[in-house]
Amino acid sequence: MRKILSAIAAMTIVCVGLGLAQATHPSQLKFPALAFDPPDPQAFRTELANGLRAYVQEDRSLPLFNIAALVNFGGLYVPRDKTGLASVLSSAYIKGGTGTRDGEAIEERIDFLGGMLSFNVGERVSTLSLSVLSKDLEEGLTLFFDVLMNPAFREDAFNLARARLIEQLRQANDQPAAVLSREYEKLIYGDHPLTWQATRKTYENVTAADLKDAHERFFFPENIILAVSGDFKKSELMARIEKIVSGWKNKPLSLPSFLTDFPVPEPGVYFIQRPINQGYISLGHLGVEDTSPDYFAIQVMNFILGGGSFTSRIVTKVRSDEGLSYSQGSRFTTRWGFPGTFSGYVQTKSSTVGYAISLILDEFRRIRSEPVTDGEMETAINFYVESFAGQFEMPQTTMRSFAMLEMQGKPKDYYRTYRSKIEAVTKERVQEVAQKYIRPEKAAILIVGDWEPCNEGGEQWPGPLEKLGKVRRLALTDPMTGKEIKTP
Amino acid sequence: MSKRTLSVILTVVLLAAFGRAADVTLDVKEHVLDNGLKILMIPKPGVPRVVCHIYYKAGSVNERPGITGIAHLHEHMMFKGTKVMGVTDFAKDSEIDRRIDELMDRIYREMFWTDAGGDPEKIAGWQKEVDALVAAQKEFIIKDDLWNHYMKNGGTGLNASTSNEITGYYVTLPSNKVELQMLLESDRMRDPVFREFYSEKDVVMEERRLSENRPGYLFSEQANASFFVASPYHWGVIGWMDDLRKITKEDVIEFNKLYYAPNNAVAIYVGDFRPPDIIALAEKYFGPIPRGKDIEPIRTFVPPQDSEKRIFGEGPAPTSLQMMFHIPPDGHRDTAALSVLASVLGSGSGRLTKLLVREKEMAVSVSAFSRPQWYAGSFRFSATPRLDKGVKPEDLETEIWAEIEKIKKEGVTQEEIQKAKNRGEAMFIRSLASSAGLAMRVGRTDLHRGWRSILSDLDALKDVTNGDIKRVAAAYFEKSNSLTAVYNRRTGR
Repeated sequence: MRKILSAIAAMTIVCVGLGLAQATHPSQLKFPALAFDPPDPQAFRTELANGLRAYVQEDRSLPLFNIAALVNFGGLYVPRDKTGLASVLSSAYIKGGTGTRDGEAIEERIDFLGGMLSFNVGERVSTLSLSVLSKDLEEGLTLFFDVLMNPAFREDAFNLARARLIEQLRQANDQPAAVLSREYEKLIYGDHPLTWQATRKTYENVTAADLKDAHERFFFPENIILAVSGDFKKSELMARIEKIVSGWKNKPLSLPSFLTDFPVPEPGVYFIQRPINQGYISLGHLGVEDTSPDYFAIQVMNFILGGGSFTSRIVTKVRSDEGLSYSQGSRFTTRWGFPGTFSGYVQTKSSTVGYAISLILDEFRRIRSEPVTDGEMETAINFYVESFAGQFEMPQTTMRSFAMLEMQGKPKDYYRTYRSKIEAVTKERVQEVAQKYIRPEKAAILIVGDWEPCNEGGEQWPGPLEKLGKVRRLALTDPMTGKEIKTP
Repeated sequence: MSKRTLSVILTVVLLAAFGRAADVTLDVKEHVLDNGLKILMIPKPGVPRVVCHIYYKAGSVNERPGITGIAHLHEHMMFKGTKVMGVTDFAKDSEIDRRIDELMDRIYREMFWTDAGGDPEKIAGWQKEVDALVAAQKEFIIKDDLWNHYMKNGGTGLNASTSNEITGYYVTLPSNKVELQMLLESDRMRDPVFREFYSEKDVVMEERRLSENRPGYLFSEQANASFFVASPYHWGVIGWMDDLRKITKEDVIEFNKLYYAPNNAVAIYVGDFRPPDIIALAEKYFGPIPRGKDIEPIRTFVPPQDSEKRIFGEGPAPTSLQMMFHIPPDGHRDTAALSVLASVLGSGSGRLTKLLVREKEMAVSVSAFSRPQWYAGSFRFSATPRLDKGVKPEDLETEIWAEIEKIKKEGVTQEEIQKAKNRGEAMFIRSLASSAGLAMRVGRTDLHRGWRSILSDLDALKDVTNGDIKRVAAAYFEKSNSLTAVYNRRTGR
């Protein structure tokens, strides 16, 4: 016992000795080196005989089993007159049951096991995911693949799901933030499958047979990638899965093609009337695809402009200096196969709407006209490089990232080369991409707010909003009918 | 060093505690500094990152009328620097800050102490002087310095949050940089400087406006205030707008002095580290901070309601029903049974969804949850009616009451109870997977009833019987213990 005691005492003394004097400022700190190599996707990849691919990681730290199927199918592939099919499919998929199991019974059983089973249709990827305790792996796996391969879309579950979705349409214009993001996309992409909205009519056009048809056309082994992690032996698990899916046949895949030519909105102010005490604002234009060779430089540039939280210019100016808002910044959104949007955003009280917009536009111009500072570059690059390991903390998240990488056809060395590509970005490149991808003179400025006080402005920036460009008042559509709501 | 001192060090310094639930061990190492700061550690080898959180026992329950929202405002102010952070020349900066405070004191007195808001000309004159001083102060301020240092060292999950009972400060760092957190957090625990106070108040008021613009927010704020009349849960964490306007810097300093002491906090680390290293760093950085005053537990009591309460509202949000019942605070012997009951009634495959969403098709959605907070609890039902079927909130209320009365008599089935227990246990195991989630749960729980209560609560859950369910249903689901909030969407806007 005494031996253990003194060993611990010695250890404590050594540790205290390590730090020597207490630093009083971060600049005095010296950190030991830290090496981190990201996991290699190839080491986790496996492919079954029928072409079903999987990224699988054993993780014995907890008695859990996680599995997700990423299906190359999304709401984008739905014809216009059936817009909303994706939402109906999302909520009716599990509840509709399988050939041999009632949907309610499946949910009841999963709940009883303390498990989680969910299905969601995204823009281009649908995901079925399950998490159960590893003692229930066998049963969970059976239910998971039954739902994945044999959904039955029973009429009662389908009808209920659809009726609830129609009922929820009433809420489509309730949240100013939701109105802003939906209408901003409509401005940037125009009339395009990316922006189509469901109405009562399009929901009513969707039938249970349509769901079955979507499943038949897109849910087959070669069109799916699994992400799996947890407390199991990989070889045994894969053998089990192989057995379950062996009879599952592939089909020819045909995906519609899409226009990627978007109408350019006229610059100026677009205003949507809501009786609220702030203006919700997005301003900008079409962005860029994340496969662009410029994308790494854009990330660094946007971090400095308004993406890097309190270290970024827009946040410092609009929030810290002026106290105009709680939420503000800039972002380049990304979407698979299309350019994302670029926007500056802010929510501020009605009287400072014009002022906040003018400050953001100033920052758009400044990052184009002057080189950023060495300090800004250091912070941005170090942030991406030093925080890089964080995205691999959870094995299931990592497996899903790898599965997405493959589905989107991105290079397998994406993660391995990520840090060096960020580190290669220079001040010159930052200014170059700022000039190329930020065009303040082309910005569409969308405001959701109360017209009178917003237009009147305040002391620092008296109105009218016309000072920012031609003003167009936009009408909202009635979510039930899709028709314009006449404003008084 | 004598043998005796050594063994004291062993028990106090390296107190490893083990708790087990299912087949999972929650292994938290504890170390308490002489000044009372508790250090909790959960080593998780693997990815070289460490979640570093610090929690203070300071929230909106520590406020009083007139300073509501101050715990949250104070959280914002903790990012404004110290004597060494956020400033290039502390002497010059604090001299300007002092003059700003003097002028603002005059402005506040003129605006808030006199009838009709004071003399606008006087106020404008002083405000002009303030503006000039604020501009001059910029030369000495390093904006968001702490945030910058965290980010350029790979800090993620960088944030802070205030709840009714707790304020937390979060960052996740590469495992070789935990010292940075120790330095920055100990520095702001000891010497925060609340510069840029008045513009930050504006930011917080904008934050409140964001909430106000969420349809239904103002009504649920009123419902909550009507439900909790005599406890500090009466107001929301964000506070009333008028208080936000009038809170002074002195108020914030006073709040800081009382609550931001090492003996009122817990620091927790989860990730890839060796506990002795964390302990050594904590001793070095937090150790020298003096212990604060003892803090009296808050004085509060929920008086019996005597009769049913109802509140009606109308506005731009979806038509809805809310029913609230007073239940005891966290840690009471009924807490487990009430959580089983919430699960039986309100989960996705629970009774109410089955009955009202599927079978009767009367609701778009319905949920139930039990929320035992530190000093008072509430059990809440929420439901959205199917307007297309002509259903009104009151119809759902009738249905929910019928189900409640049934449970009072018959209780629930063994299978339902078992399901709730399984769900509780699985949720616990799943919560161990995310380091940040784990830090949050263990750190927060520790401040009130000790982190081991996570495990004893799980044991209590396993012991719940149908008799308990019937008993708690009868005890708490009484009209005279309830508030019902009925909200209708106003049409024609």
